[in-house]
Parts: sequence; structure tokens; C-alpha cells
Amino acid sequence: MSRLCACIVSPDSNQDREALIAVAHQFSYLLETIEDGILFDVSGLERLIGTPKQITEKIAAELRKNDLPGSVSVASTRETATLLARQNAAGNTANNTSDTFRQLPLSGLPIERDTLNVLRELSITKIDDLLGLPDEELIGRYGQEFRYILDIIQQNGTALFAPNVKNDRASWDFSLNSPVEDFEQLIFLLNHGLEKLFEQVAHSGHSTEHLDLCFKLRDRSEKAYEIKTSFPTLERAFWLKLINLRVALDPPGSEITAVNVVAHFTRPRPAQSGLYAASRPEPESLLLTVNKLKKLVGDENVGVPTMLDQRLAEAFTLDAALIPKGSERLDANEKAPVIAFSYFRPPVRAEVLVRDKRLVFIKTSRFSGHVTEYSGVWRANSRWWDAAWRTQEWDIEVEGKGVYRLCKTNDGWCLLGEYD
Amino acid sequence: MSHLSLVKKLSRLKEEQEYADEVVLENIGVAFTRGSVVELSGEPSAGKTSLTLSLLSKLTQTGEICAVVDSANSFDPGSAVLAGVETENLLWVKCGGDLEKAFMAADYLVQAKGFGVIWLDLNGLSQRQLGMVPKTYWYRYRTRIKETPTLFMVTSEDPVTGSASQQSFLLSRERTIWSGEGRFKLMRQFLVSLHSRKQFYGQPIITRLIADY
Repeated sequence: MSRLCACIVSPDSNQDREALIAVAHQFSYLLETIEDGILFDVSGLERLIGTPKQITEKIAAELRKNDLPGSVSVASTRETATLLARQNAAGNTANNTSDTFRQLPLSGLPIERDTLNVLRELSITKIDDLLGLPDEELIGRYGQEFRYILDIIQQNGTALFAPNVKNDRASWDFSLNSPVEDFEQLIFLLNHGLEKLFEQVAHSGHSTEHLDLCFKLRDRSEKAYEIKTSFPTLERAFWLKLINLRVALDPPGSEITAVNVVAHFTRPRPAQSGLYAASRPEPESLLLTVNKLKKLVGDENVGVPTMLDQRLAEAFTLDAALIPKGSERLDANEKAPVIAFSYFRPPVRAEVLVRDKRLVFIKTSRFSGHVTEYSGVWRANSRWWDAAWRTQEWDIEVEGKGVYRLCKTNDGWCLLGEYD
Repeated sequence: MSHLSLVKKLSRLKEEQEYADEVVLENIGVAFTRGSVVELSGEPSAGKTSLTLSLLSKLTQTGEICAVVDSANSFDPGSAVLAGVETENLLWVKCGGDLEKAFMAADYLVQAKGFGVIWLDLNGLSQRQLGMVPKTYWYRYRTRIKETPTLFMVTSEDPVTGSASQQSFLLSRERTIWSGEGRFKLMRQFLVSLHSRKQFYGQPIITRLIADY
């Protein structure tokens, strides 16, 4: 059985790369993407499709079917196929005759510019012209490196394919005999599916940090979930819990008729952490705990505190999309303890006695007492163009009680919190 | 008798056992034991939050992940940043005043294992609410974190953990130091004392908390 290589060269190879790979996958599993297209092994397709010309036409027809511009060629070596395809990259054409190859210009070959100029001055411009010259003469003049050029034009190329198109995902599907309303009933099935799926992922030497889960529902709609972690893992129980939590937060609206899970490949995580690494929860355990907490107190109430670079009365937020990183500071130093502030939610309404423009007495639902010391007034305002806010604040010490932040707004006096 | 020099003295062994797994806050002069429940209680403005943020600052800077169970949504990240806490290593759980959720959240965190500090902040909750919490919760936490690197910190106005806590400190603000004259004053420092409720004969620790604007 002779060896056959096919090449598709596309004018928009970067844009159409995925589509070209999909077309090539219909003919072969041995693929290699090149700068301007794709090469693939079609050896053995003579029995299924026919002659090389018929194979070429079949590939070209597939390209036309997918509205892909490009040129196809099939030849016995990859270099020949590439040269032929590049020769006519503009249209959806097929060419693989020996005569066509012999008429190709030398400029398509990897020959140095100086050598090409010399050959052009000698009126040697086509492969056919070069084939007429004795090999020894050419090698003697241009060195042993020229043997590679001779191999290409004599179609003796022996270069193998370097498969550089790899699968980046694996999937598992299951259609149910009868629709299921409660997702809990599918857990055992999903467990089995994840086992199969992760076997495939592990077999390819990868791990995963991204699963796409899709349910087909009885009302012919689909419910999709994208589940991502910040670390790769193939721990089945962990993923199963994560899926369960996610589906519990946003259940499918109808009965489930089919399940599809796609695992996106990623590099596996190194198993060993540093000898002196600080104590922190295992990533799986941390993520599961965060999800359990979100289920308990609400999605928006669990996360990492983040300061906002804005002029706001409370310039911070809770970023629910983040989980703690556990990053170490190189310049760690112990700071002297500073007075912290603690908010009252909601602020405590207060009645304040002011005498001679001085705060004298405060009465709230929690306590009342004389104001012994205070500082302020601290005025702040911003966002006059949008949601305007304006505050007047004092730090007050109440006799026999604590130190508080007092605020005056249009609604009256209130305590925002205490210094603790 | 020379071979006896290889054997550690009993006092040395006791010392090792006592201080092997402690987080020492040198600026304050206090050490908290890992794998145990520690309680800070005291009147308003006694420095409970400040002291806890100092502890969080020390641990989060070294890359440990800590958690705040914010029972009454009173946590101020601005103060945490001023205290030197690495907020990206901090998990913040807001419970909106729901005590039951706060205790369950703390339970989940204890089960996760590996947190440096789990801070259950009970400030702002009424004593009537806290009095309804079964004591068994505290023993459950104590058992769960035993022999782990986690330090379970509880702050509240009145002591609540009973004998489940290994260390319990009663904080009180001795004095507030203000600078300036007349109407133009500025709060500068709190002078705070820590009395251990578990070691009755020790001297109280006096420390200063500085106002950082």
C-alpha cells in the first residue's frame, strides 16, 4: 500500500483552523497543522474512496460543503502535497498530477535567495529544469544540504508527520429510558459517568479544572452548567459534590432525559507542596466548603474582602467570585496593633444633646451617657452626579461605655459602629 | 551519670509541650495556642477586634488562609487592611445576624481543616441570643480542631465558651488617649488590659492600640 499525504492550504488558516481540523478528522486521525493549513495522512483510503484524484475531490467537496476556501492536494510525500496545495491556494481546487508538480516554480522550495538568483540567471526556474541537472554537480556546488531539495523534487521525502493537534476535551453522554425529575436520582449514574470520563482524561496524561454539564429536558430545552475550579483534579467525589451543590442552587426546570458531561483537559497539578509551606486547607476541601457556605448563607455572602478605589462611604466589597489564595508576603512583618472599627448593622438611632456647639449627651436604645471626649466633625461626600451621599461624622467617647462613630444625616443622628 | 545529659529535663519537656504550637504576638506580649478554642471577651471598645486583626495579620502574611464568620455583618475590611491583614488570604462569611447560620458556618470551616484562624465574631449579638446556644457546640469545635493547626477564636461581649476554651481573656479599656485641645482633638490610642480567665494568678497584660488614620 503506497503512502498518501493530503494537504489543505487555506487563505484564512488562522481563522478556519478549527473547521479545517474538523474536515481533516473526517479522513484521518494523524494530523499536523502547518503555518497556512493542515497536513494529514490519507494512506489506505484508496480502498474506501478510490484513486488519489478521487480522494482529493472528496476532500475538496467537503471543504465546499463547509464553505471553506482552500486548495487541496494529495501526493506521495508531504512536501509534494504541500507545494502543490500552496501553488493554488486561492480557490477550492484539487491537483495532484505529476506534470503539475514538475511545472511548479523553484521559489516555493526552501532554497536560499542567492542560489535562486544564480539558477534564474541560468534560466532554471521550474522544478522540471532542476530535475534535468545531475545530482552530483548540484551537491558539489551547493553542499550536502542541497540533498534535501533534491529529495523534495524527486519526491523521495521521508519526513514523518509530527502530530500537533491534540484533543483538548473528553465527553460522556447518557440518554435515560424514562425522564427523571429529581437530580439526586442521577447521582449514581453521574458517578459512573465521571469514572469513565476521568479514565479517559487520565489516559491522555491530563487532568481537568473545567467541566461542562448539560441536561436535555423533557420540554426539549437544555440546561447547561459550567463548573470551574482554580486547580486541576480528577477526584471523582469532589466533582460529584460540586455538581450536586451547583445543581441544587439552580435546579433544571423540567424532567431530565439525557446527560452530557465534557471535561476540558489541563496539565495535572504537582502532588508535592513545599516542605515549609504554610498550613492551608486542601484546594478541594476549601472549594467545597466555600460552596457549602454559599448554599447556607447565600451566594453573595461568602468571598474575599476587596477594597474599592472609589470615594464611597464604605469603600469595600465582598467579592463572591474569589476564594482565598494563600499567597505569602516576602516582606512579612508584625505591625503594632491598630484600633479597629466594627459596624452596627443597621446603624443605631441616637438622640444627641448639643450645647454651645459641643456634643454633651447621647441617648440610644442600647445605652445613654455623657460624651466625655470627641473629635470631628469629619465631613465627606461624593457621587453628586449619581447616588449622592454626604456625611458628618464624629468620634465620640461615652462615659462608662465605649468609643463610637457618630453620624449626622438628613434623617437625624445615628451610631455607625464602635471602635474596638 | 553523663548519659543522663541526653535525657531532657522535665521542665524543658513541659515547656516544649506548652509552647510548641503557639502563635506569638510579640507586639502585644500574648501567645495563642493552635488546635484550641481561644476566647476574647470584654465591654465595647475593649480591643477584641483589634487584637484579633493583629493575629490575622500575622498569619495571613505568612500565607495561611484564615476565615471570618461575621455573625452581625460588622466586619470592616478597611480596618483589616490597616492592621496589615492580607485580605486575599481571608475568607469572609456574612451571616446577617442569624446566629444559627453563624454556628453552622463555623462548623463547616472547622470540618474543612487547615485554616490558620477561624474567627467567630459574636459582637453585636444580644446576650439573650447567645445564651440559647447549646454548650455542646463549643465542645464540638474543641474536639474537631484538636491536633490541627487551626486556632478557633471567639470574640463576644461576655464569656460564652465556658470550659471548652483553652485560653480565655477578659479585655478592658483602661484609658483612651486623645491629642489636641478644645474642639480640635484626635483619638490617638487605647490603653487596653488583658486578664486571663484561666490563669488567675498572672499579671494582666497591658498593651496600646494605636489609631491609624
